[in-house]
Amino acid sequence: MINFLQNLIDALSLGSLYALVALGIGLLFGILRLVNFAHGDFITIGAYSLILPSASVTATMVIGSWHWEALIPMVCVIVIIVAMATDILVFRPLRRSSAPTLMIASFAVSYMIQNGVLMIYGARPKAVNLWSALTTQINFYGLREPVLQLVTIATTIVLMVGLSLFLKRSRWGIQMRAAAEDFRMAQYLGVRGNFVIGLAFAVSGILAAAVSLLFLAQTGALSNVMGVPLALFAFVAVVVGGMGSLPGAVVGGFLVGIVTTMLQAYLPPDLRVFRDAFTFTFVIIVLLVRPAGLIPSRSIVERV
Amino acid sequence: MSAMLELSDVEVRYGRLVALRGLSLEVHKGEVVCLIGPNGAGKSTAMAAIAGGVPRVAGSIRLNGQELPARKPEQIARLGLSLVPEGRHVFGTLTVEENLRVGGFLRGNARESAAALERVAGYFPRLKERWTSPAGRLSGGEQQMLSIGRALMTNPRLVMVDEPSLGLAPLIVDAVYEILLELREREGLTLLINEQSSHRILRFADRIYVIRNGTIQLHGTAEALRDGEAIKAAYFGFKGTGANANVVEGAKA
Ligand SMILES: Nc1ncnc2c1ncn2[C@@H]1O[C@H](COP(=O)(O)OP(=O)(O)OP(=O)(O)O)[C@@H](O)[C@H]1O
Ligand SMILES: [Mg+2]
Repeated sequence: MINFLQNLIDALSLGSLYALVALGIGLLFGILRLVNFAHGDFITIGAYSLILPSASVTATMVIGSWHWEALIPMVCVIVIIVAMATDILVFRPLRRSSAPTLMIASFAVSYMIQNGVLMIYGARPKAVNLWSALTTQINFYGLREPVLQLVTIATTIVLMVGLSLFLKRSRWGIQMRAAAEDFRMAQYLGVRGNFVIGLAFAVSGILAAAVSLLFLAQTGALSNVMGVPLALFAFVAVVVGGMGSLPGAVVGGFLVGIVTTMLQAYLPPDLRVFRDAFTFTFVIIVLLVRPAGLIPSRSIVERV
Repeated sequence: MSAMLELSDVEVRYGRLVALRGLSLEVHKGEVVCLIGPNGAGKSTAMAAIAGGVPRVAGSIRLNGQELPARKPEQIARLGLSLVPEGRHVFGTLTVEENLRVGGFLRGNARESAAALERVAGYFPRLKERWTSPAGRLSGGEQQMLSIGRALMTNPRLVMVDEPSLGLAPLIVDAVYEILLELREREGLTLLINEQSSHRILRFADRIYVIRNGTIQLHGTAEALRDGEAIKAAYFGFKGTGANANVVEGAKA
């Protein structure tokens, strides 16, 4: 029982990371029809922003050694700038392009960031020790969990509630939802399209920055492709949840995280290497039963 | 008297298809002008071109003598021109209130847009009852009212309504027109309305343009066109009048 609870918390913690990444991807998809694979690389940049830019094998913390109250906003600002610059330089000129064109452009951005990081920081993964205090385990009636897992889950809940309040209550959030549903109509009503899109990129930047820090604190390793699997699994989560639906992205993220962790824990050892194959089989079954995802987005159904 | 809205020789293409070929028309302050024409005549395209939704390859569109920017719908909305598009285009997952508020944000001033919300709600008691429902759940008539109310939130001087009667029962259509005329009286609006048929329009409009194949075939005051024969001829595209009007050449369009 204790064992299962421990696995469940691990699953929720991984699921929250996927949910955060999926929200970032889902938000842009909702408004722009852009499947932004570069989102994973925004996460990479957030993580690398902590250390001194150099090709040396050992990482020297700069921002990473700041107090968390300064560190977190700084990383957010850096990733927001990268995200918004990507919009202005790459996606704004492609505003009237088709969804596949946008997706291919996002692959290009992704490769550029990966190789840029490679050039500046070198090819070897670097060990980084961020917030090691969070890895201490707490003991709760025999349940031993690193504080970090709980912090990850709590952060995700806070960000999800914050995002949902922003979208529901704020004037910008309402305009974002209107634009996500019918971009042209929103413009006819005076909603500034480029501004709203820029804002969506900024929000996705904040979500990416949060994942950078949580993920790095867990793995302790920097690599120029560290964001890629996160983006891939989050994309799967978005599809499973229902393209364009934010609740769907969250549900999909948690589901993929939980399935992955549980398979890892309970598959017979010889089968564990094939864990991802099982995960994707599960995904395919979900999509066979519900082709539009678990929580299909109404606006997309209407558009087609 | 100079026109409030003036289109001259506007040409719009979708790829190789020419949707508007040298369209010219005028709307004067305080008028109700109606654009009628068969399917595919270019009515919606004309409104989209005015509102900045489609680019024009030639011609000019002026509002109060000033050339409107092409393809800048969010700027044009700020100049006091608002579009109620064909098929209403309400934001289905947003509530009635949120739909209206989207129209009010360009005012910038929160107090002003709250007052506008109050006033619009006053015109549409039915919407007030559905205030917190998602707009997608409203009936067609309610959605049409919402779309008009939302346009009103932008504080327009000129409202363009694309086929307000589309898909609505005759009684509802009457209600929609009543509210449009009330708004014209009370808000001092100028109206440009698209319709496919003239039979109701002749009662409401001051002037009528008949459009076919992307150009104006005929225009005149509702008074002058009252008997409908000239409209029929222009609409279907033959010179003769009356008798063989149901040999529908226009149906090809
Ligand atoms: N987005 C588009 N892409 C390509 N062609 C278009 C597009 N919109 C309209 N057209 C074409 O332009 C022409 C004019 O269409 P438009 O919608 O303006 O006509 P309409 O008078 O509004 O017709 P209806 O009464 O059916 O609404 C038609 O031939 C139509 O097929
Ligand atoms: Mg039309």
